[in-house]
Amino acid sequence: MTRNHMATLSYESRIELAPGAEDNGLASMLSALILQNLQDKPKKRDDFAKLRGRVAIVAEDAAVSLTLVFEGNMLTIYDGIVGVPDVTVRADSEDIVQLSLVELTSFLGLPNPRGAALREVVQKSKHGKIRVFGALLHWPLVLRLTRLMSIH
Amino acid sequence: MAHLFPSAPWTAAYQSAVNANPNYQVAGKDWTHGAVALVVRADPSIDLGEDMAVLLDVHAGECRAATYTTASDARSRAAFAVEGPYDNWKTLIVENLDPIKALMQGKFKLTKGHLPTIIRYVESSKQLLASAQTVSTEFRR
Repeated sequence: MTRNHMATLSYESRIELAPGAEDNGLASMLSALILQNLQDKPKKRDDFAKLRGRVAIVAEDAAVSLTLVFEGNMLTIYDGIVGVPDVTVRADSEDIVQLSLVELTSFLGLPNPRGAALREVVQKSKHGKIRVFGALLHWPLVLRLTRLMSIH
Repeated sequence: MAHLFPSAPWTAAYQSAVNANPNYQVAGKDWTHGAVALVVRADPSIDLGEDMAVLLDVHAGECRAATYTTASDARSRAAFAVEGPYDNWKTLIVENLDPIKALMQGKFKLTKGHLPTIIRYVESSKQLLASAQTVSTEFRR
């Protein structure tokens, strides 16, 4: 796809559910969340443009999983774990929602350590309720994904 | 007396149950984002010939009105619409499923409305469900 063509694409057409992912409720939710965040908050578009990598998310209590494949301004969401993820997030469904509530600082848009949602995420991570694999090796990916998914 | 789900009498009883739930009054006190339609998909085998809905006019921790109506009417009047088949609504109410988990499993779909707004009100949606569980309900199967 050429750069000029990319510039004319709406965000609806840059976020795609792969065949088989249409019935995955988590995939539908995340595609809607990311799309609405991009439409509501233009500052998130730079992160979306720079995101490259493969992130698996597993909602353990719901027995649902998906893979987000970011290719710079394009996102394809697959049902299940597809390929070798750079980062894998495993948590219960409610805690996955909690990740999207993480507050961001106004400067640099970093996760706000004073925010109640981030403190809860940290506590749950300490107790193994939220597990993120590959974050240390891929921290820019994790940071950008956090900013993109946060509703703040 | 048990009320048939869904129906106009069940909807009226549900409004009373929501307003009698102090936890909903707290969890929903900041909700000013419009009415919510709970859409039950058509199922002729249980005498639901078309998609029907319970339309809740919820505002600031109160259910100001509740209407049993066609889904098309409810979708046009609601800011949010959650839809699913009859058996999934029954399971949600009877087995106390977590509504977020049910959405992730694809048992229900948010067909209208702003997801980031809904996500801020997870506890509110749980309390709406808890209210439904207090209604004496007769299911169609």
